[in-house]
Amino acid sequence: MDLVSGYKGVVGLVFGNENSASNEDSYVERLLDRISNGTLAEDRRIAIAELQSVVAESRAAQLAFGAMGFPILMGVLREERDDVEMIRGALETLVSALTPLDHAKGPKNEIQPALMNTDLLSREADSISLLLSLLAEEDFYVRYYTLQILTALLTNSQIRLQEAILTIPRGITRLMDMLMDREVIRNEALLLLTYLTREAEEIQKIVVFEGAFEKIFSIIKEEGGSEGGVVVQDCLELLNNLLLNNASNQLHLRETLGFDSIISILKLRGSSYSFTQQKTINLLSALETINLLMMGSSEAEPGKDANKLTNKTVLVQKKLLDHLLMLGVESQWAPAPVRCTALRCIGDLISGHPKNVDALASKVLGEEPQVEPALNSILRIILRTSSMQEFVAADHIFKSFCEKNADGQAMLASTLIPQPHSMTHAPLEEDVNMSFGSMLLHGLTLSESDGDLETCCRAASVLSHVLKDNIQCKERVLRIELEAPMASLGAPEPLMHRMVRYLALASSVKKKDGKSSTRGNLYIQPIILKLLVTWLADCPSAVQSFLDSRPHLTYLLELVFNPSATVCIRGLGAILLGECVIYNKSSDSGKDAFTIVDAISEKVGLTSYFLKFDEMQKNFVFSSAKPGQPHKPLTRSTAASVAKIEDVDENDSTDQKNEDHPILAAIFDAQFINFIKSLEANIRENIVDVYSRPKSELAVVPAEMEQKSGESDKDYVKRLKAFVETQCSEIQKLLGRNATLAEDLAKVGGSGHSQLEQRVNGGLERVQAETLRRDLQEASRRMEMLKAEKAQIESEASMYRNLAGKLESDLKSLSDAYNSLEQANFHLEKELKALKSGGTTTAPDLEAIKAEAREEAVKESEVELNDLLVCLGQEQSKVEKLSARLLELGEDVDKLLEDIGDDVGLPADEEEDED
Amino acid sequence: MSYAYLFKYIIIGDTGVGKSCLLLQFTDKRFQPVHDLTIGVEFGARMITIDNKPIKLQIWDTAGQESFRSITRSYYRGAAGALLVYDITRRETFNHLASWLEDARQHANANMTIMLIGNKSDLAHRRAVSTEEGEQFAKEHGLIFMEASAKTAQNVEEAFIKTAATIYKKIQDGVFDVSNESYGIKVGYGGIPGPSGGRDGSSSQGGSCCS
Repeated sequence: MDLVSGYKGVVGLVFGNENSASNEDSYVERLLDRISNGTLAEDRRIAIAELQSVVAESRAAQLAFGAMGFPILMGVLREERDDVEMIRGALETLVSALTPLDHAKGPKNEIQPALMNTDLLSREADSISLLLSLLAEEDFYVRYYTLQILTALLTNSQIRLQEAILTIPRGITRLMDMLMDREVIRNEALLLLTYLTREAEEIQKIVVFEGAFEKIFSIIKEEGGSEGGVVVQDCLELLNNLLLNNASNQLHLRETLGFDSIISILKLRGSSYSFTQQKTINLLSALETINLLMMGSSEAEPGKDANKLTNKTVLVQKKLLDHLLMLGVESQWAPAPVRCTALRCIGDLISGHPKNVDALASKVLGEEPQVEPALNSILRIILRTSSMQEFVAADHIFKSFCEKNADGQAMLASTLIPQPHSMTHAPLEEDVNMSFGSMLLHGLTLSESDGDLETCCRAASVLSHVLKDNIQCKERVLRIELEAPMASLGAPEPLMHRMVRYLALASSVKKKDGKSSTRGNLYIQPIILKLLVTWLADCPSAVQSFLDSRPHLTYLLELVFNPSATVCIRGLGAILLGECVIYNKSSDSGKDAFTIVDAISEKVGLTSYFLKFDEMQKNFVFSSAKPGQPHKPLTRSTAASVAKIEDVDENDSTDQKNEDHPILAAIFDAQFINFIKSLEANIRENIVDVYSRPKSELAVVPAEMEQKSGESDKDYVKRLKAFVETQCSEIQKLLGRNATLAEDLAKVGGSGHSQLEQRVNGGLERVQAETLRRDLQEASRRMEMLKAEKAQIESEASMYRNLAGKLESDLKSLSDAYNSLEQANFHLEKELKALKSGGTTTAPDLEAIKAEAREEAVKESEVELNDLLVCLGQEQSKVEKLSARLLELGEDVDKLLEDIGDDVGLPADEEEDED
Repeated sequence: MSYAYLFKYIIIGDTGVGKSCLLLQFTDKRFQPVHDLTIGVEFGARMITIDNKPIKLQIWDTAGQESFRSITRSYYRGAAGALLVYDITRRETFNHLASWLEDARQHANANMTIMLIGNKSDLAHRRAVSTEEGEQFAKEHGLIFMEASAKTAQNVEEAFIKTAATIYKKIQDGVFDVSNESYGIKVGYGGIPGPSGGRDGSSSQGGSCCS
């Protein structure tokens, strides 16, 4: 490794190769040395300029600088404030060291020296406060470079720098002062503050305390509002950072500067029909600000909710609705993203706010005499727009408008009056003077002739909002009858039947037509189904009307079990079928709940019917997390793409693996999903209930079994016979039902995973479960008792154990003491004995052992000596032979032997030692 | 929203002395017996009238806990007035006043008007600091003094207004350069421009400064 780099270094020196790491290393090192140790001011300046240019160009130099340079340049910044040129040079070098170099040579995953350098520099809190102090310098470049350095640090080490700046006294104040500086500095400071305030609530508040709002709006005004350039966008991005989830700052803006300042940005001035991309982005950013104010703060505290509502109130008081209507409804030349966002804003503004709902209801657009209610204009957008996004956004307004607003719904429904045939077939262009209801009815029925149900399904979506949770409106609309499309086809038909017909038509269009309508159908049928589901909910007369036409039930059953329909369509169909059961008040045989349950179980069985619900729940429309979509801020990098997208759904749907259209995710909002879920539980329960308790067709009254007084025997027998017959047929029916149930049960295979089965067997199981539960409770209670007893006993036991242990240890110490006493005694006795016996010693023994050992050693060494002698003899003969041979070859044998002798000498010495 | 002057206030003092409750009583005229611990700072605003002139008060209520000191200090310099609050039933909150004052003197501008408030005067039966002691401390350190109760609203209005009146008087006396916003004062419409500043000071600041 070292060798390679050393080699490269040499090559680098020889060939002037810039790639060489060690070359850069030493060059940078030399320059740094000149800067820190140089004495001539001029030389040091030259060195720093050279350093800057080499660091600006090569990654290796950046790396080398990062390893050695920071302390030296920080020293310059700290101690040489008077030398502006040195300070500038040092700052410019730092900027270069922190700026990533694009022309990447070498492997892609190589570390970026610039990133490493920012990390190194940001670790030093002292460096940050030193840099902040430089912002007070007179020299323009000093402040400019300093801001660039801080921005670079913030981009890569945001949190660390935010924390550092918070702890520096007056740190943020200094940065804020830069907003009042000259333009270049001001713009740089805007970017810096945008990074600084991202997700840092405390910094956001301090920045506001330092007067950020006033400064931001004065810059926006100076730059020309929405007509201004990218600086306006930067201002709005900073503004949005300050308001996102920050209740305190929202209150501050509302109470101090007021919302006029932001609303006035949305005001379109004069007759400017041109929307540059920048203007589009500026408007979108300002709409985003409005959005943030309407969202309030993220915490779901009850007190903070009031903040959100107050914001909405004040926004409408300040005429925001007018500007939004201008942008979203009246400016058809405005880019689609602006129109859609404005429409969504209107929806949010009125959502959950009755006063704002009324404000919207009373708005009229256009000029005399061509005025019409704003709601009509919005409906026209829904019916006519070519953009799905726009439809969804405008639909959101009606949804918010109708939510918990029975009066509003009634107002809209009251205008639903069918027009004579000629009128309903008038082209759409003539609808300016139409009422809301006529336009809606027109939309519902318009497209039938050309087989395109797009308009119809959009109108159906609006109608479902008008009917939602409002029994009066539901019943009113039930009474609407439409003329037959062709007079020859006979009697007029109810609106609801027309809708069911379109539902059927939507799937048949799919079959014969091309690709485009196949896609279309993916949401047309679900949306019409949504209308019917909403309509039938809690409304027996709607159920009645639906079942009035016998083919409806047949069709619905077919739809639910049609394998080629999507999961979503089948599921919604199943829900609709369920509503026919649970909201059925009819006693008419053939239309009552009983008949429908029967029809379901005969056709496919209840299990597979309930399965449709489960399938739907797993579907993406239902399972995707609806509430709390993460808020995506509009930043400089994302703004352009947002402004460009004309219509998202076209791009999205193609790569979606899902069979459902993405538009459904928007139309089927969280509320509807929850509604469906609660309906589903209700349906399951009710159907099982209906099924398990069949109504008896014949009341058995014991008194009637008796022969009546004036009745002849023959009549009595006849009557009884008839009675038995009906009973017989009922038994037959019940048997049939039983068979179906058994079959159904068999199909499931008794695996017990289906909820239905659990419920069917529920009775017995419940009883068993109850007994078991009681047993369990009893057992667990007893166990508790035993446990407590056990614990007590255990504690006693441990107490005794401790006691025993203590006694044992006492005993042990006693016995130890006894033992030691005994031992001492023994010793003393022994000593006494020894003293008594006097002179006798153990010495002779020792002598004997010594002699024996000596003998053995001698023997051993003799054997070894013999071996050595043999070896020596062998070696000697070898030497003799070799000497003779060497003599033959004419070598000086004695000399050679002498040399060898030195080596041989050692063993010889040993031999002597052995002797 | 038009005002003659805008004053920035801060409320400081130990944790639990009732700073947030004082603010809530002043801005919303209500009392919340259980108040969450303030995190960092919270903002409140209200319009008052002094000398027939509408004056906007922007009030930053700070967290009393030590761990937030570095954050709350950022608010000292730009404030024209400070309400320094202690709790008359808790002696230690009175004992800490000196350290709060030192903090203020170190980080705030020298002309900041400080009002000393002995809060919870409704709990006189549990009093641990006498009124005289409070008066004495205020006199020694050149502060305005009042005892108040955020619960009964006694003296709350007065405390905020008296502070504003003092600041207003200082402006009239030419103590501040009101064109310089770092004193926590802004001149609106109908306000008297300061001795060296202009009425349109705020709008001309957008231009280039000497740098």
